[in-house]
Amino acid sequence: MEFSFGASASKIIHSTGFSELAGGDLIMIGVGCTLIYLAIRKKFEPLLLLPMGFGCLLANLPLSMMKATDSGGLLNFFYQGVQHEILPPIIFMGVGALTDFGPLLANPTTLLLGAAAQIGVYTTLIGAVYLGFNMQEAAAIGIIGGADGPTSIFIASKLAPHLLAPIAVAAYSYMSLVPLIQPPIMKLLTTEEERKIKMAQLKQISQTVKILFPIVVTFVCCLLLPGVTPLLGMFMLGNLFRESGVTQRLHETTETHLINIMTIMLALSVGSSMTADSFLRLETIKIIVLGLLAFGFATAGGLLFGKIMCKATGGKVNPLIGSAGVSAVPMAARVSQKVGADADSSNFLLMHAMGPNVAGVIGSAVAAGIFVSLFGDMTGVDTHAALAPVIGNPEPGIQAIATVVDAIKQ
Amino acid sequence: MEVSVSSAVNVSILAMSVIFTVLIILIFTIKTLVKLIPYQESPVAPVRKIVASAPGQDDHVAAITASLAAHMGKSPDEFRIVNIQSR
Repeated sequence: MEFSFGASASKIIHSTGFSELAGGDLIMIGVGCTLIYLAIRKKFEPLLLLPMGFGCLLANLPLSMMKATDSGGLLNFFYQGVQHEILPPIIFMGVGALTDFGPLLANPTTLLLGAAAQIGVYTTLIGAVYLGFNMQEAAAIGIIGGADGPTSIFIASKLAPHLLAPIAVAAYSYMSLVPLIQPPIMKLLTTEEERKIKMAQLKQISQTVKILFPIVVTFVCCLLLPGVTPLLGMFMLGNLFRESGVTQRLHETTETHLINIMTIMLALSVGSSMTADSFLRLETIKIIVLGLLAFGFATAGGLLFGKIMCKATGGKVNPLIGSAGVSAVPMAARVSQKVGADADSSNFLLMHAMGPNVAGVIGSAVAAGIFVSLFGDMTGVDTHAALAPVIGNPEPGIQAIATVVDAIKQ
Repeated sequence: MEVSVSSAVNVSILAMSVIFTVLIILIFTIKTLVKLIPYQESPVAPVRKIVASAPGQDDHVAAITASLAAHMGKSPDEFRIVNIQSR
Protein backbone atom coordinates (compact mmCIF):
# COMPACT_ATOMS: atom_id res chain seq x y z
CA MET A 1 0.00 0.00 0.00
CA GLU A 2 1.46 3.31 -1.06
CA PHE A 3 1.59 5.96 1.62
CA SER A 4 1.22 9.57 0.65
CA PHE A 5 1.89 12.00 3.48
CA GLY A 6 -0.22 14.79 1.96
CA ALA A 7 -3.22 12.56 1.23
CA SER A 8 -3.13 11.01 4.72
CA ALA A 9 -2.82 14.38 6.43
CA SER A 10 -5.75 15.64 4.37
CA LYS A 11 -7.79 12.56 5.33
CA ILE A 12 -7.07 13.08 9.03
CA ILE A 13 -7.98 16.77 8.80
CA HIS A 14 -11.24 15.93 7.06
CA SER A 15 -12.11 13.30 9.67
CA THR A 16 -11.90 15.82 12.54
CA GLY A 17 -14.92 17.63 13.86
CA PHE A 18 -13.44 20.96 12.81
CA SER A 19 -14.18 20.24 9.17
CA GLU A 20 -17.90 19.85 9.96
CA LEU A 21 -18.20 22.70 12.45
CA ALA A 22 -20.97 25.06 11.37
CA GLY A 23 -22.03 28.46 12.69
CA GLY A 24 -25.08 27.00 14.42
CA ASP A 25 -22.91 24.46 16.24
CA LEU A 26 -20.63 27.22 17.49
CA ILE A 27 -23.59 29.24 18.78
CA MET A 28 -24.99 26.19 20.58
CA ILE A 29 -21.56 25.42 22.06
CA GLY A 30 -21.67 29.01 23.33
CA VAL A 31 -25.14 28.36 24.82
CA GLY A 32 -23.83 25.20 26.51
CA CYS A 33 -20.85 27.08 27.93
CA THR A 34 -23.19 29.83 29.17
CA LEU A 35 -25.26 27.25 31.06
CA ILE A 36 -22.07 25.80 32.57
CA TYR A 37 -20.97 29.32 33.54
CA LEU A 38 -24.35 30.09 35.15
CA ALA A 39 -24.20 26.82 37.07
CA ILE A 40 -20.63 27.22 38.35
CA ARG A 41 -20.24 30.97 38.82
CA LYS A 42 -23.82 32.06 39.55
CA LYS A 43 -24.94 28.82 41.24
CA PHE A 44 -28.15 28.76 39.12
CA GLU A 45 -29.61 25.24 39.59
CA PRO A 46 -26.08 23.78 39.20
CA LEU A 47 -27.20 20.18 39.62
CA LEU A 48 -29.20 20.51 36.42
CA LEU A 49 -27.72 23.31 34.39
CA LEU A 50 -24.17 21.94 34.57
CA PRO A 51 -24.90 18.49 33.06
CA MET A 52 -27.44 20.10 30.73
CA GLY A 53 -24.84 22.60 29.49
CA PHE A 54 -22.25 19.85 29.06
CA GLY A 55 -24.78 17.69 27.22
CA CYS A 56 -25.42 20.63 24.89
CA LEU A 57 -21.67 21.03 24.39
CA LEU A 58 -21.26 17.33 23.56
CA ALA A 59 -24.27 17.24 21.23
CA ASN A 60 -22.97 20.11 19.14
CA LEU A 61 -19.51 18.73 18.57
CA PRO A 62 -19.74 17.44 15.00
CA LEU A 63 -19.27 13.71 14.40
CA SER A 64 -19.41 13.01 18.14
CA MET A 65 -22.62 10.97 17.86
CA MET A 66 -23.85 12.58 21.06
CA LYS A 67 -27.06 14.21 19.80
CA ALA A 68 -30.31 12.90 21.26
CA THR A 69 -31.29 11.95 17.72
CA ASP A 70 -28.04 10.07 16.90
CA SER A 71 -29.33 6.53 16.83
CA GLY A 72 -26.88 4.26 18.67
CA GLY A 73 -25.10 7.15 20.37
CA LEU A 74 -24.67 7.19 24.15
CA LEU A 75 -26.99 10.11 24.83
CA ASN A 76 -29.57 8.67 22.45
CA PHE A 77 -29.85 5.77 24.90
CA PHE A 78 -30.27 8.20 27.81
CA TYR A 79 -32.84 10.11 25.75
CA GLN A 80 -34.99 6.99 25.53
CA GLY A 81 -35.70 7.59 29.22
CA VAL A 82 -37.18 10.98 28.37
CA GLN A 83 -38.94 9.81 25.23
CA HIS A 84 -40.58 6.90 27.02
CA GLU A 85 -41.39 9.00 30.11
CA ILE A 86 -39.18 6.99 32.45
CA LEU A 87 -36.78 9.54 33.94
CA PRO A 88 -39.19 12.31 35.11
CA PRO A 89 -41.40 9.92 37.14
CA ILE A 90 -38.35 8.35 38.81
CA ILE A 91 -37.08 11.82 39.70
CA PHE A 92 -40.54 12.52 41.10
CA MET A 93 -40.16 9.42 43.30
CA GLY A 94 -37.00 10.97 44.73
CA VAL A 95 -38.78 14.30 45.23
CA GLY A 96 -41.55 12.44 47.06
CA ALA A 97 -38.98 10.79 49.31
CA LEU A 98 -37.62 14.25 50.14
CA THR A 99 -41.03 15.84 50.77
CA ASP A 100 -42.61 16.29 54.18
CA PHE A 101 -46.37 16.68 53.82
CA GLY A 102 -46.70 17.56 57.52
CA PRO A 103 -47.26 21.33 57.00
CA LEU A 104 -49.82 20.64 54.27
CA LEU A 105 -51.68 18.09 56.40
CA ALA A 106 -51.64 20.47 59.35
CA ASN A 107 -53.25 23.23 57.27
CA PRO A 108 -54.94 21.54 54.29
CA THR A 109 -56.67 24.71 53.06
CA THR A 110 -53.26 25.80 51.75
CA LEU A 111 -53.91 23.31 48.94
CA LEU A 112 -56.06 26.07 47.46
CA LEU A 113 -52.97 28.27 47.13
CA GLY A 114 -51.29 25.51 45.15
CA ALA A 115 -54.36 25.43 42.90
CA ALA A 116 -54.52 29.23 42.51
CA ALA A 117 -50.87 29.42 41.45
CA GLN A 118 -51.68 27.18 38.47
CA ILE A 119 -53.28 30.27 36.89
CA GLY A 120 -49.78 30.90 35.51
CA VAL A 121 -50.04 27.69 33.49
CA TYR A 122 -53.28 28.74 31.83
CA THR A 123 -52.52 32.41 31.19
CA THR A 124 -49.38 31.17 29.44
CA LEU A 125 -51.40 28.62 27.50
CA ILE A 126 -53.65 31.41 26.23
CA GLY A 127 -50.61 33.58 25.44
CA ALA A 128 -48.92 30.73 23.57
CA VAL A 129 -52.02 30.08 21.46
CA TYR A 130 -52.20 33.80 20.74
CA LEU A 131 -48.57 33.71 19.54
CA GLY A 132 -49.41 30.96 17.07
CA PHE A 133 -48.60 27.70 18.86
CA ASN A 134 -51.10 24.88 18.54
CA MET A 135 -52.95 23.65 21.60
CA GLN A 136 -50.56 20.79 22.41
CA GLU A 137 -47.50 23.02 22.09
CA ALA A 138 -49.22 25.71 24.15
CA ALA A 139 -50.01 23.18 26.88
CA ALA A 140 -46.36 22.06 26.98
CA ILE A 141 -45.22 25.69 27.20
CA GLY A 142 -47.89 26.60 29.75
CA ILE A 143 -46.76 23.91 32.19
CA ILE A 144 -43.54 25.93 32.69
CA GLY A 145 -45.77 28.02 34.99
CA GLY A 146 -46.05 24.97 37.24
CA ALA A 147 -42.38 25.63 38.10
CA ASP A 148 -41.71 21.94 38.12
CA GLY A 149 -38.88 20.69 35.92
CA PRO A 150 -39.76 16.97 35.69
CA THR A 151 -43.42 17.82 35.00
CA SER A 152 -42.41 20.25 32.25
CA ILE A 153 -40.17 17.62 30.64
CA PHE A 154 -42.83 14.93 31.04
CA ILE A 155 -45.49 17.03 29.31
CA ALA A 156 -43.14 18.41 26.65
CA SER A 157 -41.92 14.93 25.71
CA LYS A 158 -45.52 13.75 25.50
CA LEU A 159 -47.21 16.67 23.74
CA ALA A 160 -44.48 18.64 21.95
CA PRO A 161 -41.17 16.72 21.84
CA HIS A 162 -39.73 19.13 19.28
CA LEU A 163 -39.96 21.92 21.90
CA LEU A 164 -38.45 19.88 24.73
CA ALA A 165 -35.07 21.64 24.79
CA PRO A 166 -36.26 25.27 25.03
CA ILE A 167 -39.04 24.33 27.47
CA ALA A 168 -36.61 22.49 29.78
CA VAL A 169 -34.07 25.30 29.63
CA ALA A 170 -36.76 27.93 30.32
CA ALA A 171 -38.28 25.92 33.19
CA TYR A 172 -35.00 25.26 34.99
CA SER A 173 -33.57 28.71 34.31
CA TYR A 174 -36.61 30.46 35.76
CA MET A 175 -36.76 28.04 38.70
CA SER A 176 -33.24 29.08 39.56
CA LEU A 177 -34.29 32.72 39.22
CA VAL A 178 -37.27 32.39 41.62
CA PRO A 179 -35.42 34.43 44.31
CA LEU A 180 -35.09 37.26 41.78
CA ILE A 181 -38.47 37.00 40.00
CA GLN A 182 -40.80 36.63 42.97
CA PRO A 183 -39.86 39.30 45.56
CA PRO A 184 -40.76 42.36 43.42
CA ILE A 185 -44.17 40.84 42.60
CA MET A 186 -44.71 39.91 46.26
CA LYS A 187 -43.91 43.44 47.43
CA LEU A 188 -46.06 44.95 44.70
CA LEU A 189 -49.16 42.92 45.55
CA THR A 190 -49.00 42.98 49.37
CA THR A 191 -48.97 45.74 51.95
CA GLU A 192 -46.39 46.09 54.73
CA GLU A 193 -49.07 45.14 57.30
CA GLU A 194 -49.97 41.99 55.38
CA ARG A 195 -46.32 40.94 55.17
CA LYS A 196 -46.01 41.30 58.96
CA ILE A 197 -48.88 38.92 59.75
CA LYS A 198 -47.72 36.12 62.02
CA MET A 199 -49.39 32.75 61.60
CA ALA A 200 -50.33 30.37 64.40
CA GLN A 201 -48.07 27.40 65.02
CA LEU A 202 -48.98 24.32 62.99
CA LYS A 203 -50.56 21.42 64.82
CA GLN A 204 -48.97 17.99 64.99
CA ILE A 205 -50.15 15.27 62.62
CA SER A 206 -50.48 11.58 63.37
CA GLN A 207 -47.94 9.33 61.65
CA THR A 208 -50.84 7.12 60.49
CA VAL A 209 -52.33 10.08 58.59
CA LYS A 210 -48.93 10.74 57.00
CA ILE A 211 -48.81 7.10 55.86
CA LEU A 212 -52.39 7.09 54.57
CA PHE A 213 -52.08 10.42 52.73
CA PRO A 214 -49.94 9.24 49.76
CA ILE A 215 -52.18 6.20 49.31
CA VAL A 216 -55.37 8.28 49.39
CA VAL A 217 -53.98 10.94 47.03
CA THR A 218 -52.88 8.26 44.57
CA PHE A 219 -56.31 6.65 44.71
CA VAL A 220 -58.29 9.90 44.32
CA CYS A 221 -56.12 11.77 41.81
CA CYS A 222 -55.13 8.84 39.62
CA LEU A 223 -58.73 7.70 39.29
CA LEU A 224 -59.87 11.22 38.45
CA LEU A 225 -56.98 11.94 36.08
CA PRO A 226 -55.32 8.71 34.87
CA GLY A 227 -52.80 10.68 32.80
CA VAL A 228 -51.14 11.94 35.97
CA THR A 229 -50.48 8.45 37.36
CA PRO A 230 -46.82 8.07 36.26
CA LEU A 231 -45.85 11.34 37.92
CA LEU A 232 -48.12 11.44 40.94
CA GLY A 233 -47.97 7.69 41.56
CA MET A 234 -44.17 7.72 41.74
CA PHE A 235 -44.22 10.91 43.82
CA MET A 236 -46.50 9.31 46.37
CA LEU A 237 -44.55 6.03 46.35
CA GLY A 238 -41.40 7.95 47.24
CA ASN A 239 -43.29 9.67 50.06
CA LEU A 240 -44.63 6.35 51.31
CA PHE A 241 -41.04 5.04 51.46
CA ARG A 242 -40.31 8.03 53.70
CA GLU A 243 -43.32 7.88 55.98
CA SER A 244 -43.85 4.14 56.34
CA GLY A 245 -40.73 3.81 58.46
CA VAL A 246 -40.16 0.23 57.27
CA THR A 247 -38.27 0.91 54.03
CA GLN A 248 -35.37 2.94 55.27
CA ARG A 249 -32.96 1.59 52.65
CA LEU A 250 -35.35 2.35 49.79
CA HIS A 251 -36.04 5.78 51.23
CA GLU A 252 -32.35 6.60 51.51
CA THR A 253 -31.66 5.32 48.00
CA THR A 254 -34.50 7.23 46.34
CA GLU A 255 -33.76 10.53 48.08
CA THR A 256 -30.03 10.40 47.35
CA HIS A 257 -28.38 8.10 44.82
CA LEU A 258 -31.35 7.26 42.61
CA ILE A 259 -32.52 10.86 42.16
CA ASN A 260 -28.93 11.94 41.54
CA ILE A 261 -28.35 9.28 38.87
CA MET A 262 -31.65 10.08 37.17
CA THR A 263 -30.89 13.81 37.32
CA ILE A 264 -27.57 13.27 35.53
CA MET A 265 -29.25 11.18 32.83
CA LEU A 266 -32.19 13.56 32.44
CA ALA A 267 -30.09 16.71 32.28
CA LEU A 268 -27.62 15.16 29.81
CA SER A 269 -30.54 13.94 27.68
CA VAL A 270 -32.16 17.36 27.61
CA GLY A 271 -28.79 18.96 26.86
CA SER A 272 -28.24 16.52 24.01
CA SER A 273 -31.53 17.64 22.46
CA MET A 274 -30.28 21.27 22.35
CA THR A 275 -29.06 21.31 18.78
CA ALA A 276 -28.97 24.28 16.44
CA ASP A 277 -31.94 23.12 14.38
CA SER A 278 -34.13 22.53 17.45
CA PHE A 279 -33.03 25.53 19.53
CA LEU A 280 -32.04 28.41 17.25
CA ARG A 281 -35.57 29.31 16.24
CA LEU A 282 -37.98 32.15 16.84
CA GLU A 283 -40.11 29.77 18.92
CA THR A 284 -37.32 29.54 21.49
CA ILE A 285 -37.44 33.28 22.15
CA LYS A 286 -41.24 33.12 22.41
CA ILE A 287 -40.96 30.23 24.90
CA ILE A 288 -38.37 32.08 27.01
CA VAL A 289 -40.65 35.16 27.18
CA LEU A 290 -43.77 33.07 27.86
CA GLY A 291 -41.91 31.15 30.57
CA LEU A 292 -41.12 34.38 32.41
CA LEU A 293 -44.77 35.46 32.14
CA ALA A 294 -45.83 32.03 33.42
CA PHE A 295 -43.73 32.42 36.57
CA GLY A 296 -44.98 35.98 37.09
CA PHE A 297 -48.66 35.07 36.72
CA ALA A 298 -48.27 31.96 38.89
CA THR A 299 -46.73 34.03 41.67
CA ALA A 300 -49.41 36.70 41.34
CA GLY A 301 -52.19 34.08 41.31
CA GLY A 302 -50.96 32.50 44.53
CA LEU A 303 -50.50 35.88 46.22
CA LEU A 304 -53.94 37.17 45.26
CA PHE A 305 -55.58 33.99 46.53
CA GLY A 306 -53.50 34.38 49.68
CA LYS A 307 -54.98 37.85 50.12
CA ILE A 308 -58.48 36.40 49.73
CA MET A 309 -57.67 33.77 52.38
CA CYS A 310 -56.24 36.51 54.59
CA LYS A 311 -59.51 38.48 54.40
CA ALA A 312 -61.65 35.35 54.78
CA THR A 313 -59.81 34.24 57.95
CA GLY A 314 -59.75 37.69 59.53
CA GLY A 315 -56.03 38.17 58.99
CA LYS A 316 -54.80 34.76 60.15
CA VAL A 317 -53.10 33.90 56.84
CA ASN A 318 -50.06 35.80 55.60
CA PRO A 319 -50.59 36.30 51.84
CA LEU A 320 -46.87 35.84 51.23
CA ILE A 321 -47.22 32.07 51.59
CA GLY A 322 -49.39 32.16 48.44
CA SER A 323 -46.38 32.77 46.22
CA ALA A 324 -44.97 29.42 47.38
CA GLY A 325 -47.85 27.74 45.56
CA VAL A 326 -45.77 27.81 42.38
CA SER A 327 -43.99 24.58 43.38
CA ALA A 328 -40.19 25.08 42.99
CA VAL A 329 -39.67 23.25 46.29
CA PRO A 330 -38.24 24.50 48.60
CA MET A 331 -36.91 27.68 47.01
CA ALA A 332 -40.30 29.41 46.73
CA ALA A 333 -41.01 28.72 50.43
CA ARG A 334 -37.63 30.20 51.33
CA VAL A 335 -38.48 33.33 49.34
CA SER A 336 -41.76 33.66 51.30
CA GLN A 337 -39.77 33.33 54.53
CA LYS A 338 -37.22 35.91 53.43
CA VAL A 339 -39.72 38.53 52.27
CA GLY A 340 -41.74 38.00 55.48
CA ALA A 341 -38.60 38.31 57.61
CA ASP A 342 -37.64 41.50 55.76
CA ALA A 343 -40.91 43.07 56.96
CA ASP A 344 -40.60 41.67 60.49
CA SER A 345 -37.46 39.81 61.50
CA SER A 346 -39.39 37.80 64.11
CA ASN A 347 -41.79 36.42 61.51
CA PHE A 348 -41.14 32.77 60.60
CA LEU A 349 -43.18 31.72 57.56
CA LEU A 350 -41.04 28.88 56.26
CA MET A 351 -43.07 25.96 57.60
CA HIS A 352 -46.36 27.68 56.72
CA ALA A 353 -45.10 28.26 53.18
CA MET A 354 -44.09 24.60 52.81
CA GLY A 355 -47.81 23.67 52.78
CA PRO A 356 -48.67 25.60 49.58
CA ASN A 357 -45.24 24.72 48.21
CA VAL A 358 -45.91 20.96 48.19
CA ALA A 359 -49.53 21.71 47.23
CA GLY A 360 -48.04 23.38 44.15
CA VAL A 361 -46.30 20.11 43.24
CA ILE A 362 -49.63 18.28 43.45
CA GLY A 363 -51.39 21.14 41.64
CA SER A 364 -48.92 21.17 38.74
CA ALA A 365 -49.12 17.38 38.50
CA VAL A 366 -52.92 17.64 38.34
CA ALA A 367 -52.60 20.37 35.67
CA ALA A 368 -50.31 18.02 33.73
CA GLY A 369 -52.85 15.23 34.11
CA ILE A 370 -55.55 17.45 32.66
CA PHE A 371 -53.36 18.24 29.66
CA VAL A 372 -52.65 14.56 29.13
CA SER A 373 -56.37 13.80 29.38
CA LEU A 374 -57.25 16.55 26.91
CA PHE A 375 -54.38 16.42 24.43
CA GLY A 376 -52.48 13.17 25.08
CA ASP A 377 -52.83 10.10 22.92
CA MET A 378 -54.70 8.24 25.71
CA THR A 379 -53.05 4.96 24.80
CA GLY A 380 -54.43 3.42 27.97
CA VAL A 381 -57.97 4.09 26.80
CA ASP A 382 -57.19 2.66 23.39
CA THR A 383 -55.80 -0.47 25.02
CA HIS A 384 -58.86 -0.81 27.21
CA ALA A 385 -61.13 -0.21 24.24
CA ALA A 386 -59.28 -2.89 22.27
CA LEU A 387 -59.58 -5.32 25.16
CA ALA A 388 -63.26 -4.63 25.72
CA PRO A 389 -64.62 -7.06 23.08
CA VAL A 390 -62.20 -9.73 24.32
CA ILE A 391 -63.19 -9.54 27.96
CA GLY A 392 -66.79 -8.75 27.16
CA ASN A 393 -66.90 -5.62 29.27
CA PRO A 394 -67.75 -2.40 27.47
CA GLU A 395 -66.53 -0.24 30.40
CA PRO A 396 -68.91 2.66 29.80
CA GLY A 397 -66.82 5.16 31.81
CA ILE A 398 -63.73 4.65 29.67
CA GLN A 399 -65.77 4.74 26.48
CA ALA A 400 -67.25 8.05 27.59
CA ILE A 401 -63.75 9.51 28.13
CA ALA A 402 -62.66 8.20 24.73
CA THR A 403 -65.69 9.84 23.13
CA VAL A 404 -64.89 13.18 24.77
CA VAL A 405 -61.24 12.92 23.69
CA ASP A 406 -62.26 12.10 20.11
CA ALA A 407 -64.60 15.09 20.13
CA ILE A 408 -61.79 17.35 21.33
CA LYS A 409 -59.37 15.96 18.74
CA GLN A 410 -61.89 16.61 16.00
CA MET B 1 -56.82 32.77 15.57
CA GLU B 2 -59.84 34.13 17.45
CA VAL B 3 -61.35 30.65 17.65
CA SER B 4 -58.10 29.17 18.98
CA VAL B 5 -57.74 31.80 21.69
CA SER B 6 -61.34 31.32 22.77
CA SER B 7 -60.71 27.55 22.84
CA ALA B 8 -57.66 28.17 25.03
CA VAL B 9 -59.74 30.32 27.36
CA ASN B 10 -62.39 27.58 27.57
CA VAL B 11 -59.75 24.93 28.26
CA SER B 12 -58.21 27.17 30.93
CA ILE B 13 -61.51 27.75 32.73
CA LEU B 14 -62.34 24.04 32.58
CA ALA B 15 -58.87 23.01 33.77
CA MET B 16 -58.78 25.49 36.67
CA SER B 17 -62.21 24.23 37.74
CA VAL B 18 -60.95 20.64 37.66
CA ILE B 19 -57.81 21.55 39.65
CA PHE B 20 -59.84 23.33 42.33
CA THR B 21 -62.34 20.45 42.44
CA VAL B 22 -59.62 17.81 42.83
CA LEU B 23 -57.77 19.79 45.50
CA ILE B 24 -61.00 20.59 47.40
CA ILE B 25 -61.75 16.85 47.44
CA LEU B 26 -58.25 16.34 48.87
CA ILE B 27 -58.83 19.03 51.51
CA PHE B 28 -61.97 17.29 52.74
CA THR B 29 -60.20 13.94 52.62
CA ILE B 30 -57.32 15.25 54.72
CA LYS B 31 -59.68 16.91 57.20
CA THR B 32 -61.60 13.65 57.57
CA LEU B 33 -58.40 11.67 58.07
CA VAL B 34 -57.07 14.13 60.66
CA LYS B 35 -60.41 14.08 62.47
CA LEU B 36 -60.63 10.28 62.48
CA ILE B 37 -56.99 9.76 63.45
CA PRO B 38 -55.98 12.58 65.78
CA TYR B 39 -52.38 13.11 66.80
CA GLN B 40 -51.45 11.45 70.05
CA GLU B 41 -48.30 12.09 72.01
CA SER B 42 -46.16 8.99 71.74
CA PRO B 43 -45.84 7.41 75.20
CA VAL B 44 -42.49 8.31 76.69
CA ALA B 45 -40.50 5.31 77.84
CA PRO B 46 -40.02 5.40 81.64
CA VAL B 47 -36.54 6.59 82.45
CA ARG B 48 -34.81 5.02 85.42
CA LYS B 49 -33.88 7.73 87.77
CA ILE B 50 -30.26 7.64 88.84
CA VAL B 51 -30.09 8.93 92.33
CA ALA B 52 -27.14 9.43 94.56
CA SER B 53 -27.43 7.96 97.99
CA ALA B 54 -29.32 10.25 100.26
CA PRO B 55 -27.45 12.08 103.02
CA GLY B 56 -27.03 9.93 106.10
CA GLN B 57 -27.29 6.68 104.13
CA ASP B 58 -23.57 6.37 103.40
CA ASP B 59 -22.96 4.06 106.35
CA HIS B 60 -25.88 1.87 105.41
CA VAL B 61 -24.74 1.73 101.77
CA ALA B 62 -21.22 0.82 102.86
CA ALA B 63 -22.50 -1.95 105.17
CA ILE B 64 -24.83 -3.42 102.59
CA THR B 65 -22.14 -3.20 99.91
CA ALA B 66 -19.67 -5.04 102.08
CA SER B 67 -22.20 -7.75 103.01
CA LEU B 68 -23.33 -8.18 99.43
CA ALA B 69 -19.74 -8.34 98.17
CA ALA B 70 -18.96 -11.05 100.70
CA HIS B 71 -22.12 -12.94 99.79
CA MET B 72 -21.54 -12.69 96.02
CA GLY B 73 -17.79 -13.26 96.22
CA LYS B 74 -17.12 -10.06 94.29
CA SER B 75 -15.09 -6.96 94.91
CA PRO B 76 -17.16 -3.96 96.16
CA ASP B 77 -15.88 -2.06 93.11
CA GLU B 78 -17.73 -4.39 90.75
CA PHE B 79 -21.18 -3.14 91.71
CA ARG B 80 -22.74 -0.07 93.19
CA ILE B 81 -25.72 0.58 95.42
CA VAL B 82 -27.08 4.05 94.89
CA ASN B 83 -30.27 4.18 96.84
CA ILE B 84 -32.06 2.65 99.77
CA GLN B 85 -35.76 3.23 100.09
CA SER B 86 -37.52 2.65 103.37
CA ARG B 87 -41.09 1.34 103.29
